[in-house]
Amino acid sequence: MEYLMLGLNNVMTFMNLAAIVVGTALGLFVGAMPGLSATMAIAILLPLTFSLPTATGISMLASLYLGAMYGGSIAAILIRTPGTPAAAATVLDGYPMAQQGRAGKALGVSLFASLVGGVISSIALLTVAPVLGSVALKFGPVQLFAVAVLGITIIGSLSQGSTIKGLLSGVLGLLLALVGMDPVTGSARFTFGMINLYSGISFTVALIGLFSIPQAIRLIEKDQKVITQVNKFKDRMLPTMKEIKQIIVTVIRGSIIGIFTGIIPGTGGDTACWFSYNEAKRFSKNKANFGKGAIEGVAAAESANNAVVGGALIPTLTLGIPGSSATAVLMGSLMVHGIMPGPTLMTEYADVTYTLIWALLLANVALFFVGLLFTRLAVNVVKIPNHVLAPIIVILCVIGSFAINNSFFEVYLMLIFGLLGYLMDKIGMPTAPMVVGLILGFMLNMSLYQSLLIGRGSWMIFLQNPISAILLLVALFSVIQSTPLFGWIKKKIVASKI
Amino acid sequence: MNLRKWMVLILALVMVLSVAACSPQEEAPAEEPETPAEEPAEEPAEEPAEPAEDYSSYPEKPIVVFQGFAPGGGSDALAQLTQPFLGEILDITFVNQYIPGATGAIAWTQLAKSTDPDGYTISITNTPMLQTNYIMNEDITYNITELTPIANVVTDPGLIVVGADSPFETIEDLMAAAEADPEGITVGNSGVGGDDFFSTLIFQMETGLKFILVPFEGDGPSWQAAAGGQIDASFNNLGITFPQIEAGTLRPLAIFAEERDPNIPDIPTMKELGYDIVNGSSRGYSAPAGLPQPILDELIAAFEEMGNDPEFLQAAADRALPVDIKTGDEYAEYLRGHEDIFGQIWEEVKSEYTQ
Repeated sequence: MEYLMLGLNNVMTFMNLAAIVVGTALGLFVGAMPGLSATMAIAILLPLTFSLPTATGISMLASLYLGAMYGGSIAAILIRTPGTPAAAATVLDGYPMAQQGRAGKALGVSLFASLVGGVISSIALLTVAPVLGSVALKFGPVQLFAVAVLGITIIGSLSQGSTIKGLLSGVLGLLLALVGMDPVTGSARFTFGMINLYSGISFTVALIGLFSIPQAIRLIEKDQKVITQVNKFKDRMLPTMKEIKQIIVTVIRGSIIGIFTGIIPGTGGDTACWFSYNEAKRFSKNKANFGKGAIEGVAAAESANNAVVGGALIPTLTLGIPGSSATAVLMGSLMVHGIMPGPTLMTEYADVTYTLIWALLLANVALFFVGLLFTRLAVNVVKIPNHVLAPIIVILCVIGSFAINNSFFEVYLMLIFGLLGYLMDKIGMPTAPMVVGLILGFMLNMSLYQSLLIGRGSWMIFLQNPISAILLLVALFSVIQSTPLFGWIKKKIVASKI
Repeated sequence: MNLRKWMVLILALVMVLSVAACSPQEEAPAEEPETPAEEPAEEPAEEPAEPAEDYSSYPEKPIVVFQGFAPGGGSDALAQLTQPFLGEILDITFVNQYIPGATGAIAWTQLAKSTDPDGYTISITNTPMLQTNYIMNEDITYNITELTPIANVVTDPGLIVVGADSPFETIEDLMAAAEADPEGITVGNSGVGGDDFFSTLIFQMETGLKFILVPFEGDGPSWQAAAGGQIDASFNNLGITFPQIEAGTLRPLAIFAEERDPNIPDIPTMKELGYDIVNGSSRGYSAPAGLPQPILDELIAAFEEMGNDPEFLQAAADRALPVDIKTGDEYAEYLRGHEDIFGQIWEEVKSEYTQ
């Protein structure tokens, strides 16, 4: 309790508050730029914080993380290119909304959902972190494998239109995830002698290429018709009470999914947005609207990716286990500042830790106001003529992919994915399943190997552990649900009731 | 109308800013190792009067430091620890350039193959990855003879940890269990080719025991699996696990150092128990081969001065980074010695890993 007040006291200095606002604004900006992810932004800005006091520097980075999570949705909605990997699921409904002239509404829903997700997860971090933190230790290879399998089933629900093409896209993604050094034998797979491929294909590179480049080409290819519709938007940004009622359950569900996905080490916003989107669709009464501009779709993805921030900080601060790649960089920055991340963070370094937590909570407030201002400005992006906007998108993609490893290899790789995405688009193959496959493929591969080593080659190990058994059952249910068999069973049940 | 212009302007500004942020100093000289000889030839043209041997003014501009890993990792921790002290001694600043990928091999290939040995571009070098990269993969073509080792700074000794709930209280318990159940005890490491992987192999050779080696993506997930009881033990490093040992999440069983560590004085070394197992992960600085002797001497002097500074030693202790300063030939000898050891071990186990 005294730590709580100490943190609140600490955060209320001009310097810290300024750091929060600047961090949030920078996060929004960086998040909105296709190609620059939250993790990268933290990494790039990290060296700048070395000269700041520890608490101030870390607060700024955490605010930036939160800001970037919302910022990503802006580009996703307006120009169909996710600003960060965590906003990839936002594209599915956000862009159709923009096409229908509801860009402002989509951004407003995204801001509202981000705010709620961020606040709920910050409060969870402030109050029940030590209880939830121990969950992280329960997730070893066996459980992570089950999470990955469950994630794979999402591909099914993303494969609207042609299931075959969707599954093919997902499988290709899984195969591409195998490129790189084999995690168990250390031998190089499909690297063709290029050492740049040893670390595998970064899914951020693939995502930038698959989503953004085809969109840039599409903008030039098509006449102005598509975009002029967006131009005419005059709708109110913030959701009305009626709309809030419509999405509140989705937002809260998304926040909880975000917190838990955040806690699980190795999964972050890029995974959480898909899980949340999938669950929103599963529980929705009008599934058919998803992918065609449903506000629940935007709300689900955006509440989850902002809730990840608080969620991922829970094991980071209670145990010294980073919950996502962005918090791994944050943890590194603590180390650089001379603080050893570990279970002592909440006691020995309570002043820094609780300042950080309060800063995160306040960053939500900053996010709301800075977000409103920034979004009003950003909406004007749609007024930029296509022939100007398209090259800008391409330039941002090049910068973003270069920034990943400071090398041109990733730029070429991104352009190859861009061409692939364009071809896939032409034959009506969805690109989202490929991204999900790439995100989960490595985890699936690594955790399967590890689990079988631990279980001495027995596949039963997945069913002996309650967490993985339950997750695998849910996955099985998801698969059955999307087959004709489920409809048949449902009909039988309904019939028997009558 | 006006608004549109503004947006374009802002976007342009953002782009310029991000380019500036992403590429500190120069553009990465890409992969053109064939023509390194041509580049230095151009430089004397700018200052023709200066004889090439005069290095007394070195250093006179910022030194670029390659890091083969992402910001916030172990290399960065070393960089941020050492550079304020080195900067003051040498009276210059450092510019860190992060070149992650292929466990450091991309940065080190660039250092060895396409960097001028002028003392203004050096790299953090991590053992054992510096050597195991090319020992284990034929696609990786640099080797330590193409480098000028400057100084090692820290060595984090390896150790065995188990979770707080583990039935193993001592190293003898673990070894007895491994004897009773050959190839039944699971031990984690930070990844194939890393220091913990080799520690485990050395342990198996010295003791004649056999474990199931479970590789993880880094030290963190490895100790976490031990703490969560998913594996029986984790071969890890003291600096990384010490906060968890202090908090009681992990229990150390034995350390792979020459002597006991003052942080965990009750924990025996494997040497005491009669097994010659000394291993850990080291981090230092190296330059490309052909670094002029006066520049090397200047840098070595700076590292030695830093090593004697009580403030530096305190800062290192605060970060749980065990200082182990080895300079010049001593560091080169250390790198070569480990190259031999890792090479021999890999030769013996290679067939189990590659088809």
